[in-house]
Amino acid sequence: MINFENELKKFRPSLEIEDAEEIIYNQDLDDMADVLVGLLKDAKAEEMSRQTRIH
Amino acid sequence: MKCYQCGAELTEHDFCPNCGAAVKVYKRIMSLSNRYYNDGLERAEIRDLSGAIESLHQSLKFNKSNIQARNLLGLVYYECGEVVAALSEWVISKNLKPEDNAADDYMDLVRNDPSRLETFNQTIKKFNIALNHCHQDRLDMAIIQLKKVLSMNPGFIRAHLLLALLYLNNGNYAKAKTEAQKSLKLDTGNVMAARYLKEAEAMLDPQEAKSGEEKAKVKGDVIRYQSGNETIIQPVRTNVFTRSGSIWGIVLGVVLGMAAAYYLILPARIQSMNASFREQISAISEESDSKSAKMGEYEQQIASLSSELEGLQNEVNSYKETETTGSAPNDLMAAVSAYLSNPEDMDTIETQMQGVDLNNMEGAPSAQFTALYNSFMVLVGSELSKRSYNTGYEAYRNGDFETAISLLSKAFQYDNTNVDALYNLGNAYYESGDTDNAKVVYDQVVNDFSDTRSASSAETKLAEINNASD
Repeated sequence: MINFENELKKFRPSLEIEDAEEIIYNQDLDDMADVLVGLLKDAKAEEMSRQTRIH
Repeated sequence: MKCYQCGAELTEHDFCPNCGAAVKVYKRIMSLSNRYYNDGLERAEIRDLSGAIESLHQSLKFNKSNIQARNLLGLVYYECGEVVAALSEWVISKNLKPEDNAADDYMDLVRNDPSRLETFNQTIKKFNIALNHCHQDRLDMAIIQLKKVLSMNPGFIRAHLLLALLYLNNGNYAKAKTEAQKSLKLDTGNVMAARYLKEAEAMLDPQEAKSGEEKAKVKGDVIRYQSGNETIIQPVRTNVFTRSGSIWGIVLGVVLGMAAAYYLILPARIQSMNASFREQISAISEESDSKSAKMGEYEQQIASLSSELEGLQNEVNSYKETETTGSAPNDLMAAVSAYLSNPEDMDTIETQMQGVDLNNMEGAPSAQFTALYNSFMVLVGSELSKRSYNTGYEAYRNGDFETAISLLSKAFQYDNTNVDALYNLGNAYYESGDTDNAKVVYDQVVNDFSDTRSASSAETKLAEINNASD
């Protein structure tokens, strides 16, 4: 049996044209490639700091 | 595919030929993005729009610059009726790849038809209003609003779903089923629509819906069936109408009777009422015509009576004038009588003499009248002239030229040697603007009283009048 109140909560207001600019600016565009590049940078930075500590 | 570090074109090797960066994992990520894109495309081709959206989102999570995936996601959103989400994806796509991008064409498609865009916007606004009505527990209003939304944009899937939910809530399962089916036709993979459809079908026909379970047992007026571990006992929907066919017969008879009355009796009745109204209208119009004719006659009578009244009024006025002129001898005799009674009572004599105006008498005065008048003037003319002159000159000084002319003229009439009265009479005419009479009077002063100071003044005035007229 469907619960009306619970089902109604699943419906969100539709995006209006006036809000389009805000939606575009606020969209999170980070992808896996960005994450990978970040990881590599972090790893490289960590490696350099370790070498600095050894020397 | 380009290197994430230097942007150089990658080869089949697991490192960048330009900077030497390891690209094995990066290539794997790009490959996953493309795989999800392909999956999304396949789903979109069979109208599984929800599934397509999910796959394309995954594709973009792996590679935000997957332009084809982003453009397709926009198209799928557009197909669902989510125009703003579609435009957002296309704008981002255009931003990531400004040249040779299909998003341009899609955006042009929307931009070049502003009325269509406005319709979409109105649709979205109305949907939001409907949703608000739902939250405010105004469900009937919400249904009306959603119907409007779907008449404007039949492809708006979420509106179909919300409407189906509202129908389910108010027990209108047939309509809920229709809306859910429409949603599924637009988006074959829509889980919510499938759930609503299942629910609507279950409520419409519980036995059929539970065909996989035990068959229902119908005993008397209840239906018994097993649902899992529970035994459901549901009363069969029967009422007095289904039990007795005779009630249907009565209802049918009443309906037929009303129809007969409506189609057979009412028209005749209306016709007879119309005929009676027409007769009344004709009688009223005849009465109105006769009254109009009478009014015309009365108006003519009023006009003739008015003209007659005017003639009579003129006649009365003429009689009055005649009476005025004819009373001069009587007034003269009354004045003489007053003099004989008391020669010092000049006020009474003057009052009686006011009715005697030699200049305005009708016809020539009789010889006896003239003789009496002249004899009387020898006795009182000088005094009367002086009194009239004083009053008239006062009026002249006060600017009341009409009174001054009347009194000064009387003063000269009583005593024709009163040159001051005659000269000031001329002045009164002159000041009142009556230069013609002024000239006549001044001429008389000059001719009849040539040696007086008034005569020289009158000459000056005459010269002024002549100069002004030149």
